[in-house]
Amino acid sequence: MSSVLEESQELAVPAKKKKRKGSHNFSGSDRVTLGAFVGLPTILHVLFVWVPAVCTILLSFTFWDGIGGLKNIKWVGFTNYRQIFQLDDNLPIAIRNNILWLAVFALIATPLGILLAYYIDKNLKGTQLYQTSFYLPLVISLAVTGIIWDNVFRTDGVLNALFGDTNPDTAISWLGDPHKNIWVVLFIASWRHIGYIMLLYLAGMKSVDPSLREASAIDGATEWYTFRRVIMPSLRPVNVIIVVVTIIESLRAFDLVFIINRGTNGLQTLGVLVYQNIQGESTRIGWGSAYATLLFLICLGPIMVYLYQNFSKGND
Amino acid sequence: MKEIITENEVSRRSVLKGAAAGAAALTVGGVGASTLGASAASAATYNVSFGSNNTNGPGPEQDAAWTAAAKAEGINVALNAVDHNNFQNNINSYLQGTPDNVFDWFSGYRMQFFAEKGLLTPIDDLWKKIGSNYTAGFTGASTGLDGKKYLVPTDWYPWAIHYRKSVWKKAGVNPASIKTIADLINACKVFKSKGLVPIAQADKGGWEAQGVFDIINMRTNGFKFHMDLTAGRASWTDPRVQKVFANWKSLLPYMSAHPLDLGDQDAGKLVIQKKAAMIIMGSFTSGLYSKADYPDLALIPFPIIAPANGTDSIDAPIDGVLASTSAASNMAGSEALMEFIGSTKFSGIIQAISPGLFANKNSSVPSDPFIQSQVKLVNSTKHVAQFFDRDSRPDFAGPIFGPAIQKFLTGGDPKAIASNLKAQWDALPPA
Repeated sequence: MSSVLEESQELAVPAKKKKRKGSHNFSGSDRVTLGAFVGLPTILHVLFVWVPAVCTILLSFTFWDGIGGLKNIKWVGFTNYRQIFQLDDNLPIAIRNNILWLAVFALIATPLGILLAYYIDKNLKGTQLYQTSFYLPLVISLAVTGIIWDNVFRTDGVLNALFGDTNPDTAISWLGDPHKNIWVVLFIASWRHIGYIMLLYLAGMKSVDPSLREASAIDGATEWYTFRRVIMPSLRPVNVIIVVVTIIESLRAFDLVFIINRGTNGLQTLGVLVYQNIQGESTRIGWGSAYATLLFLICLGPIMVYLYQNFSKGND
Repeated sequence: MKEIITENEVSRRSVLKGAAAGAAALTVGGVGASTLGASAASAATYNVSFGSNNTNGPGPEQDAAWTAAAKAEGINVALNAVDHNNFQNNINSYLQGTPDNVFDWFSGYRMQFFAEKGLLTPIDDLWKKIGSNYTAGFTGASTGLDGKKYLVPTDWYPWAIHYRKSVWKKAGVNPASIKTIADLINACKVFKSKGLVPIAQADKGGWEAQGVFDIINMRTNGFKFHMDLTAGRASWTDPRVQKVFANWKSLLPYMSAHPLDLGDQDAGKLVIQKKAAMIIMGSFTSGLYSKADYPDLALIPFPIIAPANGTDSIDAPIDGVLASTSAASNMAGSEALMEFIGSTKFSGIIQAISPGLFANKNSSVPSDPFIQSQVKLVNSTKHVAQFFDRDSRPDFAGPIFGPAIQKFLTGGDPKAIASNLKAQWDALPPA
């Protein structure tokens, strides 16, 4: 394994040097082409990602009802942040839910997805069928997902019918009980997420040279050892994607809870709070922006640490 | 803000009473010929876009019927129907984006707010033509803070206890005997012993139970305190607020155990299916009833809690249509459409599908007993409120008060809830 890495680094170094050398001798048309290829995406990126992001951060320090021009925006310093932390009961629940989401995805759903990918990659009988059925949840639109599971979990739904009690008063309240509903939602979210991770990982595993596995088997390594020491490391690019996807999917959680009960009553997430304050009938842009900034910071933290660790290792 | 609300109290009250009385008188004398069709004689054809939030129950059928009739009068309506709740949630961006010329909305604080922000087109010219169709009260309810007219009011409905006569009869409960809250609780006990949910309660959407708060507050503390509270003149930490929660708590054992699982239609259907004995809801719940079940539907006012207040107040919101900023460039068409929607022809079409009460005083009042009981209810009431989320600030009613009530219904401590409500109100940006 280590030899593979070294080889790739050896290859990478001269390539880099070549580029640097050539950087002074671009022809005019090269410059135009390069300028277009680098400049255009940069402009678009700055325009559609960084400008709104910075505006959001700025708006989080203001009062604004979202109506009329800039003259109606009032600068209020940290008032919005103080208020959301002191007053809004939704915030602690939202943060708890986002953390739970991340924990369940990272500790249960993602490993399960990898496990499924691992087994499907072994070309068991009926692999195609398994693959399709695990991936199916992702093909279904979220609105439909919401409706399907609503019919399962509502008080007079399928699950309670199996339990033999669909009386709205005595049946189990899966989605209405604020202590229960988040777990139901995490189950539904994992149902989708597992298939997603499985597909990503399966694609990666298909690209692993089978001879690596054979060699490791011949050397007498156990399955687990082979997976941990041979397959996992050679899938590092896929692993980065999976970690990032897991973090982002859990932190931006919104659609599913919004379909179930508009993200209230125990199903608040930071994404919902942003939406409620910015898009709802009561536009309270300052609060919404403060939540968005908070979400931005939370997302940025773990992703930056992870990317930095990985890519700095790769470039040594 | 103070004066506005006070002014509206008076106007709203007289409106509905006047309308009901006027309409009743007309019914007695035989409905006069509708004269509104006169404008239809003009040969002009208009193209107007219309934003409808009328998507529940018979809504789509009504929309289809009246747009067809409008077309026959030379008004081609491009109908843009959006789910009722979504319409409401997106109203800000809708009005600032590319709104339809004319759209469904409400009277009250919510109309005045958008008028103040310059997101509506005033329709004073149209009102000169149609003004005589409305009592002073409705006229007031259609007027913005700047004195200009914005709304063409269409229909209105009261909130009350709705039930099926056959269910109560079978359980041996006489609706006329429910005078006080103690009577109501006794009746609930009977229903419970018969295996029924006494009161179907919805609050999945966060707004349904606000009507219950309104009526218990008006019965417990009177109309003035309720209006002061919704407008922020009274404090949420006032001990009278705790009395509301205490009275509500005495009813909770008889309400749906999981209100947050039920939307307004889910709860309404429990009554239709005879699983629940009653529901505290707007009379629009009648839209869920089949033709066969409808004659079985009846209402009674929410009973007395404090004798001093009697049953003198109710919620009875007014719906109507407004002209957006885009109407300004299509004024003739927009006004023609709004005139049509305000006409008795329009109300007649809607009533043929699902009976209701209309603002135009020339509209016929259906003779069916359920509609008559709504008229009677409003006539016997001194004060009329709109509804919590129409009487209060939208940034308070929706994201703050709604969840607070959900918290109360799932066992939250009323004292903590009230003190948080006060803190949240105080933290609102100036309107």
